[in-house]
Amino acid sequence: MIGILLTKIRMFIRNPWTFIIFTVMSIGFALIIGGNGAATTISVPIYAEDNSVKGSTLEKVLKEDEAFRFNWLKEEEEMLEQIENGKAEVGVILRDTSYQLIVGVDSPNATMIEQAIQRAYRAHNLETALLEVSATNAEEERVSVLEAFDKSMNIPAFEMETTSFRSEDAVIYDNTFQTLFGFTLFFVIYTIAYKLQPILVEKRDGIWDRMILSPVRKWEVYVANLVYSFIEGYVQIVIIFCIFRFWIGVDFHGKFLEALLLITPYIFSIVALSILFTAIVKNVQQFNAIIPIIAVSMAMIGGAYWPLEIVESKILITISKINPLTYGMEILNGVVLYGYTLEDLLFPISILVLMGVVMTGLGIHLMERRHV
Amino acid sequence: MLELDGLSKKFKQFYAVKSLNMFVERGEIIGLLGPNGAGKSTAISMISSLAEPTAGDVRYNNKSILKKPGEFRKIVGMVPQEIALYTDLTAEENLQFFGRMYRLKGSILKKRIQEILDLVGLADRKKDVVQTFSGGMKRRLNIGVALLHDPELLIMDEPTVGIDPQSRNYILETVKRLNKERAMTVIYTSHYMEEVEFLCDRIYIMDQGNLIASGTNEEIKRILSSEKTISIKSDQLNEQFIAMLQEHPLVNRVMSTDKEITLMVAKEVSMFGDLTKLAETAGIELTSVHNKTPTLEDVFLHLTGRALRD
Ligand SMILES: Nc1ncnc2c1ncn2[C@@H]1O[C@H](COP(=O)(O)OP(=O)(O)OP(=O)(O)O)[C@@H](O)[C@H]1O
Ligand SMILES: [Mg+2]
Repeated sequence: MIGILLTKIRMFIRNPWTFIIFTVMSIGFALIIGGNGAATTISVPIYAEDNSVKGSTLEKVLKEDEAFRFNWLKEEEEMLEQIENGKAEVGVILRDTSYQLIVGVDSPNATMIEQAIQRAYRAHNLETALLEVSATNAEEERVSVLEAFDKSMNIPAFEMETTSFRSEDAVIYDNTFQTLFGFTLFFVIYTIAYKLQPILVEKRDGIWDRMILSPVRKWEVYVANLVYSFIEGYVQIVIIFCIFRFWIGVDFHGKFLEALLLITPYIFSIVALSILFTAIVKNVQQFNAIIPIIAVSMAMIGGAYWPLEIVESKILITISKINPLTYGMEILNGVVLYGYTLEDLLFPISILVLMGVVMTGLGIHLMERRHV
Repeated sequence: MLELDGLSKKFKQFYAVKSLNMFVERGEIIGLLGPNGAGKSTAISMISSLAEPTAGDVRYNNKSILKKPGEFRKIVGMVPQEIALYTDLTAEENLQFFGRMYRLKGSILKKRIQEILDLVGLADRKKDVVQTFSGGMKRRLNIGVALLHDPELLIMDEPTVGIDPQSRNYILETVKRLNKERAMTVIYTSHYMEEVEFLCDRIYIMDQGNLIASGTNEEIKRILSSEKTISIKSDQLNEQFIAMLQEHPLVNRVMSTDKEITLMVAKEVSMFGDLTKLAETAGIELTSVHNKTPTLEDVFLHLTGRALRD
């Protein structure tokens, strides 16, 4: 088994080009389509009609918003211009006690922006009310009331937590991660599948027969092939993620290592899927023809190109449930964007492991039955 | 040593090999001769335990190898019909790979690789990638790999197809040497009867899945005992003469080339007088007329009515 692995590594060193090409393609596509991570928060032009807004809690709360970057403008015209030119989707005009949303393009962002604005006004109104109540009191007390208020802003009285993984209410869509994860999981299918193609070549050329006649046990041959394909796929993902993390500077919301660790079941399931197809096809040509079809359709159905949340077709959603890539995306998004723990992700992980075991078993079984 | 008993292989509705009976004694070189599609490779893969027979049995030292091929596989070296090598690797690396498959390691493996390279005459090309090899060199390495574990029985499936005469002679000499010096038993498949005639102690001839003749060279040729072959040479051969021979009641078969005609006639027939008369009628002069010793080609022609090669 070590001998087989060593030879595979030797051949890899002699001809690493397919690996390099697929790695570069993943990185390239993720960079071009996903942007470089700096401009992922949406910029919203904002104009304060009443001067009192400036420097108030309203401004403070909006500045702290994580999803949107509010761009404070001096002129109302400037904002309208931006919306007309399509530079911004939505603009906001703030007044002391009311606000106005100017919607250029009707996008889901409008609702979310409005929610952010409303949150800010609630805080602002609350503060004003508090100040009024304490208006009669001495200066000292007023300060301490305000301090208490500030504190309670940071520590909300009650916390809402989303525990259901498939909850529809909280969708975080981040283009950088969407494309990075999508293209990584997509291209790695090629790397993994093509590493099992030698099995077909070896069978065609009689090398397999030579191994069967030798004292090497058949499971060693299979394990060596599977392990090698797994390693190469994994190394590719590690390289891509490292480049994004350390070179391009995409922070994985502090979940870099977790992401790398929890994606292993996905790789396992793709290795298994590949061995299954290796067993089903008749020859190398068929294999080469079928792999791109599988990879592309899996990427489309599994949400590698676009988020599954925008897919409405019931049929596609149902099909996506048997697609390993769906769960791979779920794991990566879950870990990095939603900050899920291993426990929260137990479902997709178990599905992938189960798929992996079943498909490996089936693949090897079919291959054995065909050969004799 | 080895015994095949009614070995058959059926693909869908047709038999690639049908009730093949065969035996191999230790130290023999056995030839398996037949045209394309005769079922040689199919027979070979059943003998070497790679394919499961539809019916029949293969016995090694009186034990069936079908259920437990382990012991048998240890002593078998198999040279497949295709080049079963990693073409991206060098000759040496290929030998290393397959050597490791046979659990050879370290200095023993190194020594063995050198011996094999010397044996197949590739020592000076060991660092070259197989892709750059000529057909003959690939064939030689293909044989070398099968010899790594020093097998008792070497099974070779058409090891000389499509290569230059030099490499071919080298391979034939090597097989003879292995047989003589190391008492290696060999099963040699081919559709060249010169090779088989040169190498083999006993020969099995297959056609369309059936065994049509077997025995030593002489025994097989004795199949032709009822017929003899007459070779006629002349510089002036013409259509008229050939046509007259074909119509002659005593002539069974006529084959002609530019300057030579081969006839097959019953053994007791004397054609000499008739030939002189016919030549006179056709107005040609014969350079020579003589009885030829039959070749395996003639035997195959006799048995099947077809030439061994197209
Ligand atoms: N896996 C298979 N499925 C169906 N038919 C097969 C299979 N393998 C071989 N055959 C058929 O069995 C017959 C014998 O094939 P085989 O390869 O044994 O011939 P051969 O004597 O080795 O010929 P050659 O000299 O061309 O190598 C052929 O007609 C071939 O088409
Ligand atoms: Mg053959």
